[in-house]
Amino acid sequence: MTTGENGRHKRLRLAARWLALAAGAALVLPWWTVRVPLASFSPFVALCSALATHAVGLIVLLGVPAFVLALMMPRWFCRFACPVGFMQELLGGLRPHAKTRWLRWPFFGRWFLLLTLGGALVGYPIFLWLDPLAIFSGFFSAWRQPLTIASVCAGLALPVALLFDFLLPKAWCMRVCPLGAMQELMVVSRRLIRPRMRCETGGGGAEPHPHHSMILARRSFLAACIGVTGAVAARKVRGGPPLLRPPGALDEERFTGVCVRCGDCTRVCPTRILKPDLGEHGLAGLLAPVAKFDDGYCKEDCNRCGQVCPSGAIERLPLAEKRRRVIGPAKVDLETCLLANGQDCTACIRACPYEALKVLSDGFDTRPELILARCTGCGACETACPVRPHRAIRVVPKPGVLPA
Amino acid sequence: MKHTMTRRDLLKLFSAAGLGPVLASRVVADESEHKTKKIPEIQPIPVENLPRYPAFIRDGKVIQPERPLAVFQETDVLVVGGGAAGWAAAVSAARAGAKTMIVERYGCFGGLWTGGIVLVVISTHATENGQMTQVVRGVGGELLDRHAKFDHAIVNRGETKFNPTTDPEATMFLMDEMIRESGAKTLFHCWATDVIMDGGAVRGVVFESKAGRQAILAKVVVDTTGDGDIFAAAGAEHEQRLHAIGLVHRLGNVDRADHAKLKAAGYKSLGAIEPQPSVRWVNLRGPSSNGLDINVLTRLQFEHRRAIWERVQKMSKTPGGEPLFLLQTAPQIGVRTTRLLAGTHQLTYKESREPRKFPDVVAVGGAQNGKHAGWPIPYGVLLPKKLDGLLTAGRSFCMDDKLVEDGRLIGSCLTTGHAAGAAAAVAVKDGCRLRDVSIPKLQKLLREQGAYLG
Ligand SMILES: Cc1cc2nc3c(=O)[nH]c(=O)nc-3n(C[C@H](O)[C@H](O)[C@H](O)COP(=O)(O)OP(=O)(O)OC[C@H]3O[C@@H](n4cnc5c(N)ncnc54)[C@H](O)[C@@H]3O)c2cc1C
Ligand code: SF4
Ligand code: SF4
Ligand code: SF4
Repeated sequence: MTTGENGRHKRLRLAARWLALAAGAALVLPWWTVRVPLASFSPFVALCSALATHAVGLIVLLGVPAFVLALMMPRWFCRFACPVGFMQELLGGLRPHAKTRWLRWPFFGRWFLLLTLGGALVGYPIFLWLDPLAIFSGFFSAWRQPLTIASVCAGLALPVALLFDFLLPKAWCMRVCPLGAMQELMVVSRRLIRPRMRCETGGGGAEPHPHHSMILARRSFLAACIGVTGAVAARKVRGGPPLLRPPGALDEERFTGVCVRCGDCTRVCPTRILKPDLGEHGLAGLLAPVAKFDDGYCKEDCNRCGQVCPSGAIERLPLAEKRRRVIGPAKVDLETCLLANGQDCTACIRACPYEALKVLSDGFDTRPELILARCTGCGACETACPVRPHRAIRVVPKPGVLPA
Repeated sequence: MKHTMTRRDLLKLFSAAGLGPVLASRVVADESEHKTKKIPEIQPIPVENLPRYPAFIRDGKVIQPERPLAVFQETDVLVVGGGAAGWAAAVSAARAGAKTMIVERYGCFGGLWTGGIVLVVISTHATENGQMTQVVRGVGGELLDRHAKFDHAIVNRGETKFNPTTDPEATMFLMDEMIRESGAKTLFHCWATDVIMDGGAVRGVVFESKAGRQAILAKVVVDTTGDGDIFAAAGAEHEQRLHAIGLVHRLGNVDRADHAKLKAAGYKSLGAIEPQPSVRWVNLRGPSSNGLDINVLTRLQFEHRRAIWERVQKMSKTPGGEPLFLLQTAPQIGVRTTRLLAGTHQLTYKESREPRKFPDVVAVGGAQNGKHAGWPIPYGVLLPKKLDGLLTAGRSFCMDDKLVEDGRLIGSCLTTGHAAGAAAAVAVKDGCRLRDVSIPKLQKLLREQGAYLG
């Protein structure tokens, strides 16, 4: 690709890359909440989440243009759009004489891609979180959280990717990134179908010959099979108790797989109740969003997290529908509840936006009573309860849907 | 003795001329009489020949005849109702230099706090700018502080503590003291029944007592009856609510009872702690009812007292509960909410839960556990939409249903009462209508009196 590039071409490409970086950053900078998820422009995310969620939503469609372009123009995304690649390139300029020791490495990215696609078929796209746009978003989303170990961890992927590339220039793009690998495979597959078009060569690293393509096809099949098996196994291993996930999240098993860890939901949540999981609940859910109702609750007039989720891990629901999604029912601890112990407390009852709580009073026995058919698990009651250290009313994770 | 007789004779003469009550008040206040050993405990005095105007029946209707009313006193600020809110209003107005009078139907200050044995002052604190801050300051804060001087008068008070519980006797004593020091004049055992109107403004109240029906004239009236008796009588726009009506009681000998055994028998809680050892107060929520309906109040008084008696009897026959006894049922039935003023601003629960500022803030409501943010209370919640000459404070100020649960707490009653008293004093001093009171002046006075306005 370097041959045809004259100075003008080069400048144009540079301009495009700056533009893409700026546009990408504009979508994820922490000072405002744009509701278009950056990562959904990635065809890798789009394809895997369509497979994993069995749905082609608006978000998946956002990935289509990039997909089509990638068919026509090898590695166009890496060359013109990828903000991570560009940042790596800029950094790489600081140490121009690095060795390319990695040239003999296997194509990890391809394995990541195929394993993830295979996993996606059974609902668990294992390495989806390696998507560069997700990594880029994840970094900026972390800013909006208060400075904690969790937020630092959630934002760590981008610096790690940058450092990696700094030490081993181009290794990320050519050997690790599943999106890069995907673009290459697309060119290869096109060649399998129309071998005559081989004049257009793939990007820098891989230039497979036709018989290579056959080998590749066999390997792909193998990898996909491993992916499926791996995903099934991962889900089996996962299987732990459900957690407090954003409203409309996929079932726990698929959620941890489909979530790309881009942190977009944590960034747009107006009450900042969504926090990256620091592995408190096992490795499978590492950095996926969990809801914490200490200082806020899931607002009745909000469905933002579903709107921005690029992978469909959180369903994109209209507000009316979201208001019927249950995070889990609230449960009162009568031992510590003030109302149940003779004080005039009704904090939870008044806080509930769904009127799912009422005072039950029978002589000297008074307590808050839950109307299960109304409770969405929004956590407003938990936020309002004055009892410390453990609130006397808490949402128990048990997702579901309210009756219409 | 002879001297007294003469004065009483004189009084009779004056009372015919309508001046009697003025002097009578001085006689009542003259303590030296009690102390003079020479006066026998029982002795005859002349029958007071007050003019009588009995009602009569005409055409099957009971008619109250037109009659002149003796003016018991004229004052600047008249506070009706001596609960937490009214007491704070009277102290604040008197301290600000206004001639102040407070009328209370029972024999003590504190209302539900003391007479209702609702002893825990909830929402004294809030978290402001990341720090737990006391929001009940000013006269209310001073009252709580002064409890600390006595043993067994207050618990949960101090640097890191909030929501203290007080001993009702200590509270009543201190309230008496502070009213006396402030120079406000008190009338106990007087029940305000009507208003005196002058055009669109309230100019005083009519009250009933053992001394008959009399009037008090005032430049400004503060309605802290809790039930809005006065603004309702004046025809001010208002709303009415049903709410749970209960009756608090106190258990004695609690420390000697076996709590574990009682718990196993189904008695989850023995009530809330008090400053005194071995005594606890027990809340009773009761059914949602109309606190202005005398049949309801009477029925509930019967039913609650019976339920309490039976419960304590049962407890004391339960293994572990033998030492328990019923110390007292509250002298005042627990009416939570009845009338709410339609003020120039209705403060809503939603407003109270959002970060929000009011230019006319006169108090800050606390958080139940001190952990949440405080909620500023604007002057408009005390001020009727149209009626002049009157403010309300305490559990009847203008708020929505959900906020009632915070607004009626003792803390908010103390602070809104303080604000109303100060506003009344400013209006009197400036000779202006209550709705034209200079907010900066009012806020300055409140701050000078130690109030917290955020
Ligand atoms: C059962 C119960 C439990 C509660 N628990 C708590 C709690 O735990 N913590 C808390 O902070 N709050 C609690 N509250 C609320 C709180 O106690 C009251 O809302 C608050 O004390 C009201 O103060 P107030 O001054 O506005 O009215 P009140 O205390 O009702 O005072 C009104 C005063 O006006 C007098 N009065 C009324 N009408 C007239 C009239 N016509 N003429 C002359 N005088 C009149 C009354 O005798 C009374 O003294 C509880 C309330 C109840 C009923
Ligand atoms: S829907 Fe709830 S969890 Fe999702 S962004 Fe809005 S408030 Fe946060
Ligand atoms: S009961 Fe609690 S969790 Fe359930 S809807 Fe109401 S506030 Fe939300
Ligand atoms: S807010 Fe907490 S203490 Fe108050 S009634 Fe509800 S559960 Fe009980």
